[in-house]
This record gives sequence, structure tokens and C-alpha cells, in this order.
Amino acid sequence: MASLPKRIIKETERLASDPVPGIGAEPHEDNLRYFAVTIEGPKESPYEDGIFELELYLPDDYPMEAPKVRFLTRIYHPNIDRLGRICLDVLKNNWSPALQIRTVLLSIQALLASPNPNDPLANDVAEDWIKNEELAISKAREWTTLYAEKK
Amino acid sequence: MSDLDSDDSLLLEFEDDDENVSYLDTYDDGKPTHLDSDFAKVPPHKIDTDDSEFDIDESQFSGEDLEDDYLVFPVKKTTKDLLDEDSVPSLKYECLTTQEIFESMISRVHHLQPVLSLPSQDILILMQRYDWNEERLLEEWTEKMDNLLIESGLNTSGESNGRGVQNGKEFFCPICCEERLTETFSLECGHEYCIDCYRHYIKDRLNNGKIITCMDCPLALKNEDIDQVMGGASSARLMDSSIKSFVRKHSNSYKWCPYTDCKCIIHLKDTSSLQEYSRLHASRFVSCNMGHSFCFGCGFEIHAPADCGVTDQWVKKARLECENLNWVLSHTKECPRCSVNIEKNGGCNHMVCSSCKYEFCWICGGDWTPHGSSFYQCVIYKNGEKNKLVADTPKKTLRRYAFFYKMFTEHEVSAKLDWKLGETVGFKVKGLQEKIGVSWIEGQFLTESLKTLNEGRTALKWSFAVAYYSDPSHNLTKIFIDNQGLLSNAVESLSELLQIKSPEVIMKRKTEFYNKAGYVKNRTKALLECGRDLLLKGISKARE
Repeated sequence: MASLPKRIIKETERLASDPVPGIGAEPHEDNLRYFAVTIEGPKESPYEDGIFELELYLPDDYPMEAPKVRFLTRIYHPNIDRLGRICLDVLKNNWSPALQIRTVLLSIQALLASPNPNDPLANDVAEDWIKNEELAISKAREWTTLYAEKK
Repeated sequence: MSDLDSDDSLLLEFEDDDENVSYLDTYDDGKPTHLDSDFAKVPPHKIDTDDSEFDIDESQFSGEDLEDDYLVFPVKKTTKDLLDEDSVPSLKYECLTTQEIFESMISRVHHLQPVLSLPSQDILILMQRYDWNEERLLEEWTEKMDNLLIESGLNTSGESNGRGVQNGKEFFCPICCEERLTETFSLECGHEYCIDCYRHYIKDRLNNGKIITCMDCPLALKNEDIDQVMGGASSARLMDSSIKSFVRKHSNSYKWCPYTDCKCIIHLKDTSSLQEYSRLHASRFVSCNMGHSFCFGCGFEIHAPADCGVTDQWVKKARLECENLNWVLSHTKECPRCSVNIEKNGGCNHMVCSSCKYEFCWICGGDWTPHGSSFYQCVIYKNGEKNKLVADTPKKTLRRYAFFYKMFTEHEVSAKLDWKLGETVGFKVKGLQEKIGVSWIEGQFLTESLKTLNEGRTALKWSFAVAYYSDPSHNLTKIFIDNQGLLSNAVESLSELLQIKSPEVIMKRKTEFYNKAGYVKNRTKALLECGRDLLLKGISKARE
């Protein structure tokens, strides 16, 4: 593999020396572009007390191209589908090279705090969410205890 | 045709004839008497009634030797024109390239300049933001003014400090995290990055057709910025992709020519007539400047007499069925007696149907008895296949479909062969010029005949789609099928004529070319009209 760009080294260093509260990101030993990520469910959201595992990959063209991020832990959320794929603007059209791994992960944490059922990825979940928000939130809470509980 | 004077009664007569072809014009052996040899003296011309800006090749009329009577030659009608007359409104369209569309956008920008009093580069950004829709832009402009500029990423402060490429210096770029001696670029916002990162960033976005902004804020890069960073006219690519996305978004009035590598875009100027078209089961056929004709509605080739609905169904069905059917058609034959499909998986030509025990020859399909002991060679085989062209319609569904599909593909294959034939026609015309000294314009009857042949062939091909969806018991369907037969014969005989290679023979039989081509034209028209009637009356309907 070609040598790691300075940008990735810098970001990795900073993630270790100055971690974001509630977010962990560690590069894989064999592949320094591949990160194991954990995100704590935001307070006062149905995901509170949950720890969600994600994987993050920096493509060859990073930072010109957005990182690829996916939830590994199952989660009941209108913008995250069964495969863990995330519908988030900064991961797609609104990516800018000026953004970083940490800003992306913060955006994902913010998405957990404020789901957007009007721009859904998981259509069934979004429908539940619009029809009966209370029920959907309790289901999300249920899934959090079921799949994302602190060990 | 207003300039058709009585001094040329023949022309009028011909014109009349053209109008009154009945569905069942009897076919008198390729030499219709009403087109006598005088006809042949008048060289053919492409003069179209409507859409003249597209169909007339101006160069044909530039020569001084062209007399008036050349110009009043009976209108050669294309398939499109055949449909355009009667009740169907004519189509107003123009053929453009992305560059031409862009130029017209630029002229709109110039028009807007006195209204907005902004630099034209800024107006260009605004136009992109509003998908080149100046009405919407002006509307929102009167409402928002400065806010609109900020939303569009334009600097309202009036200062242009720090905008542009800065000379080489020791610089730490937050994008690539390299510290080195480099040129940099930034907008007024002061978000400064090294030139390499900016180039990479811009290059990735040139093909998206969207406004490119600063990497860290919504401030927009103008075309001059892009060209400054990239060197050369890279912004042209951005404009090109922006126009392409504009065309995609306005697909009801703009369509790309579907032909490979063709860069033409057809712009329909008046979309109000479209409804009328679908009501009449007629299709909006257009031709681009490269001479490619296609249906504006569905992007297919000219598929008359079928309408878009029938075409769509037919093509979908063909895609769905074709694998099964191709296998059945290429690997099996029907038992001549009971019509069960039989696969021959080895052995000799002596077949015994497992269902009805009929013994027949695999090659000719005839009774086995006269074959005697010649198990591997059939002496009885005749080239009779072609005569079955318009046999009576089979009734069972798959067989019925297989029949129509086969006819359709057969004509498709023939059309391809005709296409190849077309490549040789150019040489033939040249041969006429060089060997017998026939003028170019006089030799055009060959090209015209070929065009007529192609049109006839295409109409014939698609007529099988219409026929498939028609109620077979209806009288009009029967008339339609008879029409297919007549056109089919006419097309084959014209095709045969076009195979002639010797320039002398071609010139000698010139009259025949005119007659046969004229006949194909009439038959094509009759078939198209009859097909449209079938659709209009609901006798032929796309269905599942």
C-alpha cells in the first residue's frame, strides 16, 4: 500500500491525543485507513445509554472523497437502514475536504439526537416514526437495550 | 404546395394520387400505371412542408442550374410528414448542441444584466442556481435581493481582497496537511488551501454541473476563478455539465438524440400539442441535424404505425420472452401435423413426432415417404420459406407471439442489411457520375429510393407489433394484414432493384426505381394510416 497521506496520520494522532467526548475511533492494525468506531447514544434521546459500534473507511481519494461509515450495531432509526447504512448529507453531496473524521462522527451523533423521518432511508421505520412517534421512540429505546447495551 | 401551377398537370395528378391511396390498392406487379415514365424526368427533391429548417439540405439548391420546376417537384414525404398531415398538429422543434444552448443562456445573462446590474459572472452563478430559469430568478430577486446573493455564495461586500491565486510561499495546507513551498488559492473568505488540493477538488466537481464552492464555506467559485486555478478553459466543462443537467431536468421539452455518439439535443418549442398526439395515437417523430430520426416520446426509432404504448409493451415483452423464444425458435421446429415443438438433439433428418407419430423430414418439413433412404440430405427442400411471409395468423399464444416476433426480427435483420446496402449506394452514385457522367443531383434518385426503402422497412417492422396487439377477428385487422403483405412485396422488390451494381443498368431502369419507390411510399402511407385507425378505434391495444 502506498504510504499513508500526512492528513490521515495527523487526524489519527489528534483523535488519540484529543478524543471527542462520547466518541472513540481507532485504526485497524493491518489497515490504517480502517477505523473501529464507537458512539455513545446522546443524552435525552432513545439511544441514551447505548454504545453503538460503527466501521469507518477512508477511501484512496480521502479527503477529496467522503469517508465511508456504517453502523455495525443494529439500531432503530429512520435514517439508518438494516445494513447500517447512514443517510447523511455530509457523507454524500455535502462532503467537503475541509471536514474531518471527527466532524463526521459528530454529525452522526447529532443525527441520533434528532432523527429526520422526512428524509428517510429505512422507509418502514420512517413511516412508524411519522404515524406514531411515541411508539417508534419506545421501540428505538427497546432496540438500544437489546443490541447496544453497555457491557 | 401553393406554387404548384396548372402548367404541370402531371404533378397535380401525382399529388392527388398521393392523397387517395385506399387501404386495398391492388398491387399490379411493381409497375403501377399511374406513375408513367414522364415522372422519371423530374429529378427528386427533398422539399418538406413543415420543419423546413431541418429537412432541406440547402446545398442542394445552391446551384444555378436549378430551374423552377425542380423546386415544385411533388413533395417527398417522410414518414413523419405522412403522419403530420390530417388532424395531427405539426411539431415545432429545433436541434441544438450543449454549446448552442449555453450560448443562448449567455445571451439571456446579457439581457438580465441591466435588470440586476451585477457582473455577468455573478449572474451566471445565479442562473446556475436557478437551473437557468430566469423567471424564477427574477421573482426571487425582487423578493430577496442581497439575501439571494448570499444564498448563492456571492460576495456582497464589494471587496475582492485576497481572492485569487497567491504566489509561492511556505504554507501549511489543512487539507493535505503538507507544509511546503506552494502556490495557494482562496476566495474573500480567506479559507486558503494549496493549489494542488484546490485543483483536485475542482477537477472532481467539473462534471457534476453544480456550483463549486469554497471547501469550507458556501462562497462560490466563478468561472474566472476556476480557469485561474486550473489553467485553460476548464469552466467550459462545468458549463457543459451544467447544461447537461439542465437538459436532464427538462426532459419533457429537451431530449438527447439516442443514437450512439450523437451530440444533438432536440428542443420541442411547443409542448402543448403533445396531448393531442397521444390522443390520436400518433408519435412525435423528430430528426436531429445528423439525420437521425427518433420518437420524441419514447426515444425509440421511428416506430409508426405503432404508438409509444404498443412499442413499449412490445419491447418489454420481447425482452422478457426473447430468451425462451429464441431458444425455442432456434432449437425446435413444429411438427408439421400437430404443431408440437420438437427439439432435434441428434440423429438423422428422419423425424417421428413423439406426440402424433407423424414421420417427416427435419429439413423440408414434408412427409418422409418420398425421402426414401436419403437420411442425411434432403432433396425436396425448397426455398419456400419467404412466401410464407404473411401466412394466416396462428392462434395459440406462444405460437402467435413467436410468429409476430419472428416477422419483426426478420425485418429488423433485413433493415440492417439494407443499411449495409446503403453504404454501397454512395459508391453507386459516384460510379454514375464518373462512368456515365450523370450529374450528382440526377443520381440522387438512388439515395431517395434507399431512404424510401428504409422507411418502408421500418414501418413494416413495427406494424407487426401493432398486428400482434390487434383483435385478429376484426375486419380492419385483416385489411391491415393485407396491407402488410402489399408493403412487404413492394419493399422486397425495391430492395432487389437496389442490389443492381452496373451503372448502365441502373440508369436504364431509372424509371423503375421511381415507380417502385413511389409505390413503396404509397403503401407505407396506407399501412401507417390503417395502423393508426386500428389504434384509434381500440382494435389494437397494448395490454398485458
